[in-house]
Amino acid sequence: MNLNEAKTILLLYRPGTADAEDPQVAEALALAQQTPELARWLAEQTARQTQLRGQFRHMPVPTGLKEQILAEVVAPDRIIPWSPRRWLAAAAALVLLGGLAALWWPHHPGDDTLDIYQNRMAGIALRAYGMDLTTNQPDPIRAYLAQNHAPADYALPAGLQKAGVIGCAIEGWQNTKVSMICFRTGRPLRPGQASDLWLFVVDRSTIKDSPAPGGPPRIMAVNRLTAATWVQGNQVYLLGVEGDAATLRSFL
Amino acid sequence: MAGVEFENLVAQYYEPLYRFAFSLARDEADACDLTQQTFCIWAAKGHQLRDVSKVKTWLFTTLHREFLGLRRKQTRFPQVELEQAAPELPVVAPVATSGHDTARLLATLARLEDIYQAPVALFYLQDHSYNEIAEILEIPLGTVKSRLARGLGRLQEILADEPVGLPPEPTNL
Repeated sequence: MNLNEAKTILLLYRPGTADAEDPQVAEALALAQQTPELARWLAEQTARQTQLRGQFRHMPVPTGLKEQILAEVVAPDRIIPWSPRRWLAAAAALVLLGGLAALWWPHHPGDDTLDIYQNRMAGIALRAYGMDLTTNQPDPIRAYLAQNHAPADYALPAGLQKAGVIGCAIEGWQNTKVSMICFRTGRPLRPGQASDLWLFVVDRSTIKDSPAPGGPPRIMAVNRLTAATWVQGNQVYLLGVEGDAATLRSFL
Repeated sequence: MAGVEFENLVAQYYEPLYRFAFSLARDEADACDLTQQTFCIWAAKGHQLRDVSKVKTWLFTTLHREFLGLRRKQTRFPQVELEQAAPELPVVAPVATSGHDTARLLATLARLEDIYQAPVALFYLQDHSYNEIAEILEIPLGTVKSRLARGLGRLQEILADEPVGLPPEPTNL
């Protein structure tokens, strides 16, 4: 190992961590002990690394993020370490159930819960998205969605029919298409903001714990939106607004 | 019990996860969304994790996958140049030994090629081992070392505004 090779390897060295246990790092450190020039370089390098690590770790975290996560994410079941016996039992059960389930259970990859769907769609709405079609006419929006095989036969609540539509986009979820229709509440928008009211429509079968059809809309906070979720026919509707529950209800 | 454990998990990891997300996305709202989405996925799927010692790696891997998904989507979205966003970046009390603030650090990180950004951020955050970084990014250990060597070298060159005298393309790691 020459000096340049040692320097390249020691770039990856962080004092006080397990890095020194890496064979290549250990060899380069040993060389530094025998080579004053490398030892000086390493001392300077270590100081730079410490400084940079400090900077990364001092990145500010928004106040209230933890509380927001805890408020909006439902606590999961407790983690239970799995013993070999439990694994065998589970494997046997899976073999039996898997065969049966495959016959009649539509397959979707993981992450297909309503919570995750709501959070993902709210995240899309809150970011600087681009609309696939910009128009204030409802019919071209339905035609565009239908042409692109996204849900187009949605039924708008009475309140939402009075809101100004401005366009639509097609999003993805569980390998299926989600229709995103963008509206305006009529309140002032922030600079650069195109919409503050969004309707997402997706096939109900893509969400494993979707609500029962025909029930009243469930209203809850999702990310920084107030959102209502309901099922009509075979579709799950998610209406989100940047505003309070009263504002949202006026569009239902 | 489950609620307490989940609360402890969030308390332990939300800050490093947010910092990793912010290092990648360089947008506070996106970083918050990615962090929240990671815990949301944990709530739905975390029980499937057999080895509880892998929780940290699982969370960072999930966040990184979510970020990659977000970035793929953003090909359709308007991109905001970092210079334009600079006024929105958080202002941090300067580290005593440093002349660079976080905004400049992130701006510098953004100048690295994409493939180097995540390894470098993980290297400086949380003391992830090389193996953990390989697991999180789902790439081989040797690739992690190569990318770290190149990314760290380039980062320091930019910060110091002078070359650090390293070979440009290390290949023996």
